[in-house]
Amino acid sequence: MDPKLAPIRKGLLEFLVLKIVGARSVYVPDILRRLAGTEFATQEGTLYPLLSKLRREDLVQYEWQESDAGPPRKYYRLTETGRAQLAALDDYWNRINRTVSDIGT
Amino acid sequence: MQRISVTARLNRSTLQFEEAAYARLASYLDEAARTLAGNPDQAEILADLEQAIADKCSGRMPSSGPGVVTLAELEPALEEIGSVQVPGAAPAPDQPARPAARPLQQVSEGALISGVCQGLARYFGLDVTLVRVVAVLLLFVSGGAMILVYLILMLLLPFAPREPGSERIRTIPAKSRQFAGFVRSKLRAVAG
Repeated sequence: MDPKLAPIRKGLLEFLVLKIVGARSVYVPDILRRLAGTEFATQEGTLYPLLSKLRREDLVQYEWQESDAGPPRKYYRLTETGRAQLAALDDYWNRINRTVSDIGT
Repeated sequence: MQRISVTARLNRSTLQFEEAAYARLASYLDEAARTLAGNPDQAEILADLEQAIADKCSGRMPSSGPGVVTLAELEPALEEIGSVQVPGAAPAPDQPARPAARPLQQVSEGALISGVCQGLARYFGLDVTLVRVVAVLLLFVSGGAMILVYLILMLLLPFAPREPGSERIRTIPAKSRQFAGFVRSKLRAVAG
């Protein structure tokens, strides 16, 4: 990948994870599946540290849910703070998006 | 006799690993732990990764009988999980190896009087005992004028910020901080 594009992708990953978690309560394979095939395809090795950071920032929280196969799973969802943060990011994203398309045309 | 497999407990799952697979697993987890050193969530992230490895390996095992995970099954699982990336940590190769130069300050923690000698020692990279011995020698040689020098430095030099986790400053260094603060506020009042 073009090294100039990597930081954009990296910076937006957190936003997209918040969006996915905000839509419904999910566990990590759900998030990976949602991102697979997009520009933001990622791996557990990246996602778990990111989710732990978001939890520490009180943006997401998780609860254990029993599964039919195997051990219980961690289901993540947004906290109130996380929801506010997501709304702010969404708003900001829309504004910079507009700026980017307006400028230089 | 040959050891055939190793039983490993990965978070909430227990699996049998072939010797070579076990070694690979241990080195992956070691590497992850090193990358996460100092991260407050290190233990939790490692537990999550262990569980992900266990889930993927059990998913790849033939369902019949108690299987042993081989390198052929482990390797693609680790490939899928990828190496641990710390969020927000941009690789910083242009960081200076040397810590940033600190300004000349007094260091109250562990000070004998106010921490001037400790501050000088830190600033010049000298042993604090050496600085103290020199200061005491100068005290005698200078016929007491060194006391004045010390007082001036004590009033002029800013106090170094407290190191996190250090003990509370008590007794003489605390008193001298108070004294320096008091004199400084008086001087400011006079000047302003």
